[in-house]
Amino acid sequence: MTETTIPRGNALPRIRPWLGIAAAASFVVASVMALFWAPTDAVQGNVYRILYVHVPLAWLAYLAFVVVFLASVGWLWTKNPLFDAIAVSSAEIGVLFTGLFLVAGSIWAKPTWGVWWTWEPRLVTTAIMFVMYVGYLLLRGLSTDFSRRATRAAVFGIIAVIDVPIVHLSVLWANSLHQLPTVLRAGGSPALDSSMLLTLMVSLGAYTLIYAYFMTSRISLERARQERLWTT
Amino acid sequence: MSVPYRIALVAGRELRAERRQPDGVVAAVTFIAVLVLLESLVVGPSIARDTDVASALFWLALAFATILATMRSFDRELEDDALEGLVALPGGRDALFGGKVLSLATVLLLVAVVGGILSIVLLDLRIALPLHLLVVVLLGVLALPPIVVVDVVLALRLRARAALVPILALPVLVPQLVAATRGTSAALSGDAVGALSWAGLLFAFAVVYTVIGLTIVPAAIE
Repeated sequence: MTETTIPRGNALPRIRPWLGIAAAASFVVASVMALFWAPTDAVQGNVYRILYVHVPLAWLAYLAFVVVFLASVGWLWTKNPLFDAIAVSSAEIGVLFTGLFLVAGSIWAKPTWGVWWTWEPRLVTTAIMFVMYVGYLLLRGLSTDFSRRATRAAVFGIIAVIDVPIVHLSVLWANSLHQLPTVLRAGGSPALDSSMLLTLMVSLGAYTLIYAYFMTSRISLERARQERLWTT
Repeated sequence: MSVPYRIALVAGRELRAERRQPDGVVAAVTFIAVLVLLESLVVGPSIARDTDVASALFWLALAFATILATMRSFDRELEDDALEGLVALPGGRDALFGGKVLSLATVLLLVAVVGGILSIVLLDLRIALPLHLLVVVLLGVLALPPIVVVDVVLALRLRARAALVPILALPVLVPQLVAATRGTSAALSGDAVGALSWAGLLFAFAVVYTVIGLTIVPAAIE
């Protein structure tokens, strides 16, 4: 095992309750806006409202795996166990949100495309990303030594991030049933009505706070686990 | 001693070991031959002869053959306790990755030639653009090993390694497999521009993953 130190006195337990309150409050606001305030879509009717769940979940999936990548680089660079705690926490939360992203997409696909699942690039690449990070967690689970586990996982976390842009851009590279990017469009402003866009932005903020809350909780748990490992 | 020279030394040593004890090559060639035969039996010869289907199954078989050959290559090192000595040499980790990739690409080329000839003969495939096909196969064979070598290194000495390596490697190999399949299909059906575009993508993947491997694999080898 390489020499590592656990920095003491982290601030996570102090900010966690406030993050939880902010996440819950913003989630309520976002839900009310999505269900009652945002206008009905002229083509899809009310079904489109799942957008306010589906898009934030997609954003969180991307965010979580980019954080895994950054934390993996941090671990390989510094060997600070905090980075490993961040990586594993973000990977677990990312797998959860990617799973929900796929389920929400499937629920949206049924009334709009007529099927729960279709073999189009965005769906397939997302499912592959999901499997990739399940593999990441499996790799961690099978390694016993802390330092080796963290290093192996970090290397895979760096390689796997390449799938994130592939998922996002897959709708541009291949003929796709899935609509093209609506918010992050190359060379253009978001293709959404202003009230829909505002609702979407509030939802993105709320889900990001939920991610931050989950992260603080999971990182604290992982740090406690690391401390137990070091003291035994 | 320069890095390319050390890589060539390790690759040469790997190929000599493979020649003396060719179980990795034999297993990979047998595996691809069985899959080509099974393909015709399972989906029927008329579907199996479709250029898209034949290309896809060929590259899937080659991906599994890569995993098989790579795991066998590392097993041999572990059985002989040779890995520690190699890693302990100055620059040994870079050379180990580079040498493995180079030797595996050579072995895979042989496997691809055998599997390709079997596919062409048994499925009665017509090749519209042989040179383009050769370029796609060459670049495809270079694009597969870097990822598989990284994943085998990550799973080294872990229980359930045989199951873990395909789970780690295949999702990452998807872009390479898509490019190789589309490029092969384009070369078989006479689409020169398509074949060369996909070949370009394969070249890019081969370079990107080799550079990533050379950069981070030394950190992963204990």
